[in-house]
Parts: sequence; structure tokens; C-alpha cells
Amino acid sequence: MQQKVEIQPILSMNSVEVLYDNVMLAIKGVSIQVPKGKMIALLGSNGAGKSTTLKAISGLLKAERGRVSRGEIKFEDTDITEMLAQKRVEMGICHVIEGRRVFEHLTPDENLTAAAPAGMSRSDLNGEKEKIYNYFPRLAERRNSLSGYLSGGEQQMLAIGRALVTQPSLLMLDEPSLGLAPFLVAEIFGILQKINQEQGMSVLLVEQNALAALEIVSEGYLIENGRVVMNASAEALKSNSDIQEFYLGGGEGTNFHNVKHYSRRKRWLS
Amino acid sequence: MFYRLSGVHHANYVSDSRIFKVPADRNLAVFVLLFGLAAPFIVPSLYLNSYMLPWLIWTAAALGLNLVTGWAGQLHLGYAAVMAVGAYSAIHAARFGVPWEFALIIGGLASSVIGSLFAFAALRVKGLYLALTTLAMQFVMDWVLTHSPTITGGSHASLQSPTLALLGQEITSDAGYYYVAFGWCVLVTIFMLNLKRTGLGRALVAVREKDFAAAILGVNSFYYKILAFATSSFIAGVSGALLVATFFFLAAPEQFSVNVSIQVLAMVIVGGLSSIIGSYFGVALILLVPGLVNGIVAGGSLSLGMQINVETLAHIPNAVYGALIVIILLIEPLGLGKLYGNIRDYLMVWPFDQLRK
Amino acid sequence: MDWVFLTELAINGALTGLLYSLFAIGLVLIYKASSVPNLAQGGLTMVGAYVVLALARDVGLPLWAAIPLAAVLMFGLGFGIERVALRRLAGRPVVMILMLTLGLDIFLRGTTLAIWGGTSRSMELGVSYEPLFLGDIFISRIHLVGAGVAIGLFVAFMLIFRSRTGIKLRAIADDYMASWSVGISVERGVGLSWALASVVAVAAGVIWGEIQGVDQALSLLLLKGLAVAVLGGLDSILGAVVAGIILGVVENVGADFLDPLVGGGSRELIVAAVLILTVMIRPHGLFGHHDIERV
Repeated sequence: MQQKVEIQPILSMNSVEVLYDNVMLAIKGVSIQVPKGKMIALLGSNGAGKSTTLKAISGLLKAERGRVSRGEIKFEDTDITEMLAQKRVEMGICHVIEGRRVFEHLTPDENLTAAAPAGMSRSDLNGEKEKIYNYFPRLAERRNSLSGYLSGGEQQMLAIGRALVTQPSLLMLDEPSLGLAPFLVAEIFGILQKINQEQGMSVLLVEQNALAALEIVSEGYLIENGRVVMNASAEALKSNSDIQEFYLGGGEGTNFHNVKHYSRRKRWLS
Repeated sequence: MFYRLSGVHHANYVSDSRIFKVPADRNLAVFVLLFGLAAPFIVPSLYLNSYMLPWLIWTAAALGLNLVTGWAGQLHLGYAAVMAVGAYSAIHAARFGVPWEFALIIGGLASSVIGSLFAFAALRVKGLYLALTTLAMQFVMDWVLTHSPTITGGSHASLQSPTLALLGQEITSDAGYYYVAFGWCVLVTIFMLNLKRTGLGRALVAVREKDFAAAILGVNSFYYKILAFATSSFIAGVSGALLVATFFFLAAPEQFSVNVSIQVLAMVIVGGLSSIIGSYFGVALILLVPGLVNGIVAGGSLSLGMQINVETLAHIPNAVYGALIVIILLIEPLGLGKLYGNIRDYLMVWPFDQLRK
Repeated sequence: MDWVFLTELAINGALTGLLYSLFAIGLVLIYKASSVPNLAQGGLTMVGAYVVLALARDVGLPLWAAIPLAAVLMFGLGFGIERVALRRLAGRPVVMILMLTLGLDIFLRGTTLAIWGGTSRSMELGVSYEPLFLGDIFISRIHLVGAGVAIGLFVAFMLIFRSRTGIKLRAIADDYMASWSVGISVERGVGLSWALASVVAVAAGVIWGEIQGVDQALSLLLLKGLAVAVLGGLDSILGAVVAGIILGVVENVGADFLDPLVGGGSRELIVAAVLILTVMIRPHGLFGHHDIERV
């Protein structure tokens, strides 16, 4: 089922292990490749290690007292495994963290300013802001009100916009659909796809909402219990019966009389 | 090694709610208790009364603060003021002719009443703002003490404590004072050890972790906060009274100033929040080490033939005291109790520590 | 009622209050940029004053050179404090950070006194003690100078917090994790706020050292600084200035009424009462932000 990707990967992660607090092994040898200019999804259930994978790539692990204990992470052929989070942002990796954490006491406009790279001139920054407001017209309307009072969807848009200001070549999103109405999810995913196509930005998307995610990505990885258990194109994943059963809510597994069968199948999968 | 256990594993609730979960801990406690009882016969009376006695009383006081800050999670920067209330009420009662047993209880109760006032601040705010409010209350209390000669004893602002007498027995010997302090400290320790196992202890922890979530679970956080403050204030009051009765002999407002409040909080935090053995360590460190370092510096400069400014020497303990707080917090934010726990856990499986790489 | 006297009390109170603001600005700076309570500002102010004196007396520099040089040194000290101490406790509960700053305060005070001794020294800025007459009202010159410095610093910091660096500092105070995720160096930001607060401490140390002598008592201004900072709102520089004026007037006029009743020394009491009442009635102060909670 594995198809060799011809495009040069912008990010490659080779059998990475992450330890929290020196004792908790959160991911156990994850290998992922993000081809340049593509959108990739990372699927899996709660606690599978998706967010940890993203944090290992963005360097935010350190803030939670975690570290990469084995394996290496390469970004555009540079080893970034031990690099400071700030350096990685400068190199072009930006991580939109889970839970729409905008700077609540700042206005959307100031949120965007706060993320501006050190060397960016004022006119460049303004141009960048206009571009973001074009993508997210809702934000432009509320650019001067306090971000803490924006709606959930607007906050998510702001979080994405804030990440775009850092000029990333790889954008990573951690559950952007969390707690949002389906039409908003569709809107945000649509914009992501547009950005990907217009700017050629690579995207790594972590999602629980596999159905929506598989609509826009070209390839997906399935993570369970800290390991990659499946890697295939979006089409292949969508038609896979296990995926349908466990993540897309279709298939024959919806019958709860078959609950034993369900858990057995699941164990086999990992 | 010394503990000979491969970990703490409980098979039933009885064993889980034991006071000492590791037999070696119990043995250690028994050993320390025996040593404490025998101390007057072993330790020279100078050390007994100028180091061990204040250590025990401050430990009792620190445990009281630990109840409200460690268990119930309420920051308290006015603890010395509460101790002052207990000390002054008890001494005035004793001077009035009330037997000391009752005077101590009166002191404790008076502290409870005033201490509960602090709780009303805790009902309104928490964290930093509570710390600032209690700090301001401490200043108010300082002010009241220094401006009321009737409480603090005339123009010299010092109040002689009558001779301590318990159970009809006048206590005047060094060993006697020591045993009073020892008895009080043991009493408070036993109370705190058992607190963990009671509904009250669990309710306090629930209030600490998230007070509104505790409220949803049916824990009346209003009631428990006041209860925590009142109980801890009672301990503070009696400790304050005993401190004056067995150690200072004279009560003066600066014995309970804002610096003392900070000092007790430092003892609790350096020792480790909600750690009982930690409070013992914390008090020992904060109380004894600055003086010790000063002695070493003074002795060292003498033997090296260097002349150290008297004033410099006088301020070194303060610098050391501040540095100790900072250093311990940087090494282990959970305090000495946690460090002790780490060492114990390490020794429990030593030399079969395959878990560590 | 003597209105002239009352006006004089109010004006001098307001000027003294602005000097409290000088102190409070140091607290607010750090809280605004890292939401850490800085109880070490008293110790920092003491160090600032002593460093200026050491440069002026022991090294022999003129004051106009000693003060900026001290500011530079303290700027470095502020960064050092973040590097050595605060960085390792980032994200810990507020109890521990509170205790850390208290420990720092004790350490700074103890070290300063161990080096330079506890006898009070004078700053000798060369500001005339001749009172300034405004009609029938007389005003202390040094208070006027100090108030000017406070307002100058206020304007400077208002501008800084509008700038891109300032916005980043405010972002850090809001959310450390989100700041890291967009490449803001939280460590450098927090360090900068401590460095700026240390520079403010030099200003406060010089002015207060001139007024009451350079000694341990400088660190006792902490309570007044805290009361001003809380009354104004812990994250509002404007609040620190306005609240300073309010507290100064209330304290000066109030003490004039209360002192005869309680036999003097009611200033501390008024300040403590203001602090308690503010927290009880309006914890976020006059200009502070509510914490935004959405469910």
C-alpha cells in the first residue's frame, strides 16, 4: 500500500522516540515524511501521540519537560532534533497549538504583530496582515477588538493567521476543528487548501475529524499507541475498511453488539 | 537497600491508608521519637535549648501553615500575626491567673477567631491576590500591636511571660521546656499525619486543586476554607504562646513581624508543600543553617587571619537565608520533602534500579 | 477647615504618590510582561541606590555618570536574575515564584548590607532643599524632580508597550506556550522586563535615597508600591501612575485626620487598608484587565 513519494521531503522524521519527565514514553519510533508543498494528515485517537509528534517537530516539548530520546528530525536536510523552538520558527516551521490559544488580552491586529519575525519591516508586516485578512475576512472586521472575546472559529482563524505571519514553509496544525461547527470546519479547511495551493506551503495536519481531514490532504499517517500503523494516500485510507470502521464511523462496526470484535480488531491493528 | 522493598504496592485500602506506607519509615519515626525523648540526657543543654527547642516549636508552627498553604492551597503571608494573637492572649490570660493549660487553649481559640478573618479574604480571591491581602493584614496587625501599649506591655513594648506551669507542675528546667516543645510538636505531627487519611484532609486537597470543581462534587469549599484557616490558626496560636513561654520569655511585637511571616512560609515551601517530614527539614534549614554559615565564615576568617567587618558578618546570615530559599527552589521546586522522597525511592530499589538508564 | 493647608497636603501627597508609582512601575512592568509577581523590587531598589553610591563615592565618578552606569549594570543584573532563577521556575505554581522573588529580595538585601554595611548614607544629588512656593503652598523640590522622573518613565514605557517589542512582551504575559509556538523568545522577553524593572529600581533608589537616606528602609517601600500597583491594576502602567497619585493624596490627607486620633503613624495603616479594600472590592484594580473566561 506504500507508494514511494518522488518529491523531496521538506521534513523527515526517523524513528523518533519521545520521553516525558524521563519516564513516560509517549511516542515509540515514529517515522514521518512531509513532501514539499503537500498536505499530510496525522490521524489517530486520543492519546495516540499525535500532538507529541508535532511538539517534537516544533521544539515545544521542552516546555512540557519532554525530550527526543532517540531518532532524528530533519528539516530541509538540516538536523533540527536539538534545536531551540525559536530557531525552528525562523527556519520556517510553525506550529498552531491545540485549543486556539490566541493572546487573549491583545487585539487580533496585535496578535499578528506579536508573531512578526525580528527582521520584518513595517511595510512588509502590513502587507502580510492584509494578505491574512484577505484569507480570513471575518478577522478583518474585528481586528481591533479584544481577541479573548472572539468566537471559537474566529480565534482558530486568528491562530492560523498568526502562524502565517512567521512565514512558515511548513505549517503544522493541531486539531483546528476542535469544538467548531461543521460549516466552520469546512470554511477553515477550505482556506488551508487555498493557502497550500497559492503559496506552496507544506501542511501537516493533526486531526480527529478524519472525514474532513482526508478530504483535503493527499496522504495520511495513522498513529496508534505512539506508533505509525498505517501510511497511505488519502484515497486508500478512505476506502480502507479498518479506517472506515474506527475513524470514519462507517462500516459494519457501528453495531454495538459486536463490541468484542471491535476491540480485537483494534488490537490487531496496533 | 535500607528499605528492602521493590516499590510501594498496595493490595487493599487498609494498607493504602496507612500512615507509614514503608516499614522503614515507621522504624525511622520510632527511632526519631526515641531520640527525641532521650535528647535531654544526650544533648548538651545549650544545644537542646537554643537549637532543638526552637526547631520543634517552629516545626509545629510550620505544620500549621502547611495545613492551609500545602493542603488547602491558600497562600498565607500573615501567619506571624496569627501567632502573635495567640501568644499575647495566652500570656495575658496566664498573667490574669488562668492556669496555663487553659491559657494556651484561649490563645489558640483567639488565634482561630482572628485567623478566620483571613479566611474571608480567601473566599474572595486566591493566589497572588490572597498573598497580598494577607500581607496587608499582617501590616495592620503589626500596626495594632505597636500602637496598643495595653496589649504589648507599656512603653518598652515587651511583656514578661509568667512561669509556665502545666498539670500543677511549674516548669523551669531546660529539660522541662524541651519536653513541652517536644510534646506539642509530636501532637501536631500526629494530627497532621492523620489528617491525610480523613475526609477533611481529602476535602482540603480537593479545594486546593480546583475549588469550584470541588464544589460540584459536593465539597463545601466555603466551609472547608474557613475550617482550614481556623485549625491552622489554632496551631499557630498555641505555637506562638509556647514560643514565648519556653524560648523568648518576653513577648515583643518584632517577634511576630512581617519578616517572620515570610520566614515561616519559606520554611514550608523549602520543606515542601504538604510534606510533613519536609517541614521538619525546612525549619531546620531556614532556622539553623544561616547561623551555622556565619559561624564558619567567622571561624574561617579568624583562622586565615583575615579581618571581616563586623557589619558584614552581621548581614551574612540574611544573605545566606535568601540564597538558601532561591537555591532549594531551583534544585527542587517541591522542596526538601520531595528530595527525601526521591532518595528513599531510589534506595528502595537499589541496587536493582533497572528502571533508570 | 484650612483649604490652603488641605490643598498643600493634597499636592504634596500627589507628588509623594508619584514617587510610589516610580516603585510600582517596576512591579507592573514585570507582571505585564510575564505575569510573575515581583516581590524583589524592594531589594532591587536598595541595590540600585547602593550601586549608584558605590560608583559615586568609592569609584569617584560624578553623579551624572554614576547613575547611567548604574542603570547599565542593573540592566545586566535584571537579565541575570531571569537567566539564573526565573527561567527554571517558568510555568510553576504562583506560590513558588512568589517565594522565589521573596528569597531574592532577602538575598539582595542581605548581600547589599553585607558589602556596604547598614549605616544610612546620603545620596547628595545636589537638589536644593529650599522649598518652592506656589502662592501660599510650598512644595519640596526633590519630590517635584521625582514626580517628573516618574512621569517620564511612564511615557517611555507607554511607548515601549505600543512598539513591536512591547506587544511581544504582552503576548508572553498572556500565554508562554503560544509565544514559543510563534517564535517569540519568552526567556529574552522576561529577561528584558526584569532588566527594565531593575533600571526603574535605580531611578527609585536615587530619588528615595535622596529623600530618606540610602539604607535598609528603602526596601520597606515595597508595601506602598504593592498597594499602588494593585490599586491601579497589576498590568496597567497608567494605573500605576493614577493610583500612585490617589494613594499619595489619600495617605497624606487621611494621615492628617487620623494621626491625632490614633497617636500618629497611621500612614502604614491607610496603605494596608487601601490594599485590602482594593482586593476585596475590585481585584483587577482601576485599569487592570479582567481575566477573560469563556466556557
